[in-house]
Amino acid sequence: MSLREPAWRITARELESSLEEEKGEGERPATYLLSPFAARMNRVLMAGSLSPAESIGRDESQAFWRARLSDPTGAVAVTAGSFQPRAMAQLRAGSVPRPTVVVGKVHLFRGRDGVGYVSVRAEAVRSVGEADERAALADIVRQTFDRLDLLERVEKDPALSEETIRKEGIPVAWLRAARESRRRYPNVDRVAFRHDLKNAVRRVAGESGPSRATPSVPTSVTVTRAPPPRAPPPAPSAAERTEESLFLDQLDEVAEVSADGYADLKEVFSRVSSHGLVGERAEAILNRLEEEGVIEEPIVGKLRRA
Amino acid sequence: MSADPAPSTPVETRLRDLRATTSSVEFVARVVTCERREITRKSDGGRRPLLSGLLSDGTATVRFTWWDPPREGIERGVVLRAVGAEVREFRGRPEVTFTWKTRVAPASPAELPRVDAEEIPFRTVRDLKASDEGFRVEVRVVRIAPKSVTVGEERRVVHEGLVADRTGTIALSAWSDFGLKAGEAVRIAGAYVRSFRGRCSIVLDERSVVVRVEGNDLPDPAELLRSPPRSIAEVEDEGGGEAVAVEGVVVGLLPPSGLVYRCPTCHRSVRSGICRIHGQVEGQADLRARIVLDDGTGAVTVNANRADTERLWGVTLEGAQARLRNQPDPTLLEEELLESLLGRRLRVRGLGTKDEFGVTLTPESIDPVEIDLDAAAEELAARLGDRS
Repeated sequence: MSLREPAWRITARELESSLEEEKGEGERPATYLLSPFAARMNRVLMAGSLSPAESIGRDESQAFWRARLSDPTGAVAVTAGSFQPRAMAQLRAGSVPRPTVVVGKVHLFRGRDGVGYVSVRAEAVRSVGEADERAALADIVRQTFDRLDLLERVEKDPALSEETIRKEGIPVAWLRAARESRRRYPNVDRVAFRHDLKNAVRRVAGESGPSRATPSVPTSVTVTRAPPPRAPPPAPSAAERTEESLFLDQLDEVAEVSADGYADLKEVFSRVSSHGLVGERAEAILNRLEEEGVIEEPIVGKLRRA
Repeated sequence: MSADPAPSTPVETRLRDLRATTSSVEFVARVVTCERREITRKSDGGRRPLLSGLLSDGTATVRFTWWDPPREGIERGVVLRAVGAEVREFRGRPEVTFTWKTRVAPASPAELPRVDAEEIPFRTVRDLKASDEGFRVEVRVVRIAPKSVTVGEERRVVHEGLVADRTGTIALSAWSDFGLKAGEAVRIAGAYVRSFRGRCSIVLDERSVVVRVEGNDLPDPAELLRSPPRSIAEVEDEGGGEAVAVEGVVVGLLPPSGLVYRCPTCHRSVRSGICRIHGQVEGQADLRARIVLDDGTGAVTVNANRADTERLWGVTLEGAQARLRNQPDPTLLEEELLESLLGRRLRVRGLGTKDEFGVTLTPESIDPVEIDLDAAAEELAARLGDRS
């Protein structure tokens, strides 16, 4: 028996922080993305401000579109191709950022160096009024709190039984997800993450706009396999400028010899890592260069000078 | 047999005590249902008559097979004494076979084993399973209504409804009129549980006994029909239920949704003008929506009928047909219906049945839900916690 996968109510930050995958069971096993905060997602429901979509398809016969969904905690890429014609049409429909509810399947791309990029392959995209967007966000934040509460209980009482959970009306799947999250992300600051939801709560109250003010690397998550991120200073230091130019040099070199003129992201990461620029630091540089408009990533995993 | 026989009928076995055995048994029982058939022998093509159906003696109901039965005189309600019947087990349940070695004779209802009501165990609704019998329950009648049905050639009235105790709710069909009324509390004995399409119901016939009771610890029927929504994960866990209430967001539509055509006789949907049962028919237009409702813990399919679809969509069947005349592409209509529903928060109450694809709700009510954003924001702010 294969039940339909529920759409986990998730914030962009939680999704950005999710780097662990798990295969399901059965004949055609689904893939699940595990978050540090007790979500085990195959399908998600998100709400926020959806940017106008850009075409990232290689040619007309393989239409593929991407937009960014920003909520008060972060942003993720939302994609749709010709296999999701309805979602693709909706994705392409807007020319300005608009409040939107998105349902889709999560997709984790992992580079050679272990850096993960999460995107959502849209199944349903719906432009909504602001009140509906806030209501959906309220739902998302409430269920996120519910999962965080459950995680705290599991931490205090590791023997918490499925029977107890079931009696309280909490899905047993959540308990399993909470245990797995704790196992896979042992060093995550969950208190900080809870606090970081305050912008989302303010948005529910109508006190702020639909998306976050400043994009940032999630601070509440530490990936144990890579070195901890360095807090990005307000202005880049001389050292960081050096790293930026190293990154750009390598990008140019890769692009020069590639057939399509794009630099493969994995290739660039692997080259800069041999110069000592690794993991989240390399990613931070990439993000900053993208934000500053120096480089762009028109196709997932493919970079070029803007 | 291990059973201790009742003092008045020392040589007989109660059906409840039947076990698969090589030695033949004797019992007295009433024919509950029977059906006459003929089996064609493979060896010589000869035909052999066969009567099969259900027997009950008040302690249990078993299937019976009677080879070469009398030509007439065996029908529903007749009480029989069988000596030398064979007992076999099929799918874990005993069945009896009457062969040439079995002596079967009419008997008086007075010869049926006396069943002391006190020895029948009490059960809760939650514990009832398909094909259970020989139990007592105390339940509140939530609702009940007579319905005329055709059984074979016969017109009969069945009283259908819903009963509940503190542990759950279950459908009820009474084939005799016990004068049941909504709201009253009753003790039922001599009923059995039948399952149809994954939905269990308590079935009462003329042998069942209904006694009115105080039922102080039984739930208030109005409360049952107003109960707050539960998580879809819970509903999936329990395999649906009689009076399920859930709340979620519309995340999709399943085909066929929108304008559909139905067979005028059986109301099944018609494809290419062909009904699965009645062949070529003139399909009648209807509106429906098979809504996928998701609350983050699970998803159910809600089968909305024409009235609900019209109300949620804001387009009537006539309106939809008029649109189809101007824009002869039915997929556009479905698109429009989806557009009007997607992302909407609905509270749905109704009958939930589970199959291999999950739980399907046949709604009694579908209501859009408005969220009080200020209250939600306040509640959520309280849960932020302090940064330590």
